[in-house]
Amino acid sequence: MHQFMYVKPKDITEAVRILAENGEKVRVLAGGTDLIVRMVDKIWKPEVVIDIKGLTGLSGIREIDNYGVAIGAATPLNEIIGHPLIQQHFAVLAEGAHEIGSCQIRNRATLGGNLCNASPLADTAPALLVLDAVAVVQGEEERLIPMTEFFAGPGKTILARGELLKEIRIPYLPTESKGIYYKHARTKAVDLASVGVAVLALKPGEIRIALGAVAPTPVRAKKAEAFLSGKEITTGVIKEAVALVQEEVSPITDIRATEEYRREIIAVLVRRGLYEIQKFLRGE
Amino acid sequence: MMKHRIRFTINGEVREMEVKSNQRLLDLIRNDLDLTGTKEGCAGGECGACTVLVDGKAINSCLMLAVEADGKEILTIEGLAEGMVLDPIQESFVEHGALQCGFCIPGMIMSAKALLKKNPHPSEMEIREAISGNLCRCTGYEKIIEAILNVTQKQA
Repeated sequence: MHQFMYVKPKDITEAVRILAENGEKVRVLAGGTDLIVRMVDKIWKPEVVIDIKGLTGLSGIREIDNYGVAIGAATPLNEIIGHPLIQQHFAVLAEGAHEIGSCQIRNRATLGGNLCNASPLADTAPALLVLDAVAVVQGEEERLIPMTEFFAGPGKTILARGELLKEIRIPYLPTESKGIYYKHARTKAVDLASVGVAVLALKPGEIRIALGAVAPTPVRAKKAEAFLSGKEITTGVIKEAVALVQEEVSPITDIRATEEYRREIIAVLVRRGLYEIQKFLRGE
Repeated sequence: MMKHRIRFTINGEVREMEVKSNQRLLDLIRNDLDLTGTKEGCAGGECGACTVLVDGKAINSCLMLAVEADGKEILTIEGLAEGMVLDPIQESFVEHGALQCGFCIPGMIMSAKALLKKNPHPSEMEIREAISGNLCRCTGYEKIIEAILNVTQKQA
């Protein structure tokens, strides 16, 4: 690994100042499972590495009264997966997070890292998109960004120079709900998604769909959602919804799958998700 | 600027050392502390040969900086046996002949150690999941799983 300066700031204010002063020369270290690999492979050579683990306000899971739950950006995935509030209210996020890497990776990798890395296939992203999560970004001032606007392209977020992702807020769902995350990969464990699909249903008839690895960023399938809204989920309706999802995605061919194969898998997973939702909405 | 003084516990012993910022925990363990039971395989978090426990949790020591070990408690494969008495997991691996070339075994055992600490009676599926980040290129998984299952049955 190249030489760099390792800095452990004492609080968020100092972290933000270091980020602002160093711009492109600095990289944030949270779980390190992406950063260290890229430094070892000489893809990234930051002059400064700023370790944000352990900063007050960046780790852990807390309840926000009359709203929902906040997850600190530097919270390790395994802590999120096992947390009772997440299990109880946002199981679809636990499912997504559980799909990432191995047990060793999830003990270190953080939610904020998975998101800021901004891979189109980030397994936590589709769940957060269907949950209408909000990113809390800290710069000189704090700003709230809906997750639907957080990703700017492969490896890119809307974070500006001197900004740090502080936490993710997820509002409680107003009615009884069911969320599902399906990941398709080349192997059962420890692989990156070829396609990821999250489906969330809220009684009586709202359905949200988000997909990973099918476009430059994780995306919501808004056209299909609008079409499904309030409709009885029949086989015919599912077929039309799948066709609408296909219009909203733009998968590419890469080392994990071809565009054509991805389109097939998208159809399979969306259909599978909607049949599960059909059972839930019918009370089966 | 590039050096940092850290204090940590390794295999029950408190150590204070100077580390470079670009040194990995794996380098500290193998090169500076001479604990070569922990292996380097892929150096990318895929193979699990470098698995150690940090504050009781299994992690890839190739994906952690040495400086991050400050204030932590580290357990490597060398810290399991007490004198000539093997850890029950090691005992079970020996009994089941759960090794071929042996390269993955320290990592496998550390993953098993973390699992059994948290969940003393895991199911076969839970064991498979716990070692899913540990590759055995001899493909000797069945005996490894049997060995871990058997530890739990003995303790039952």
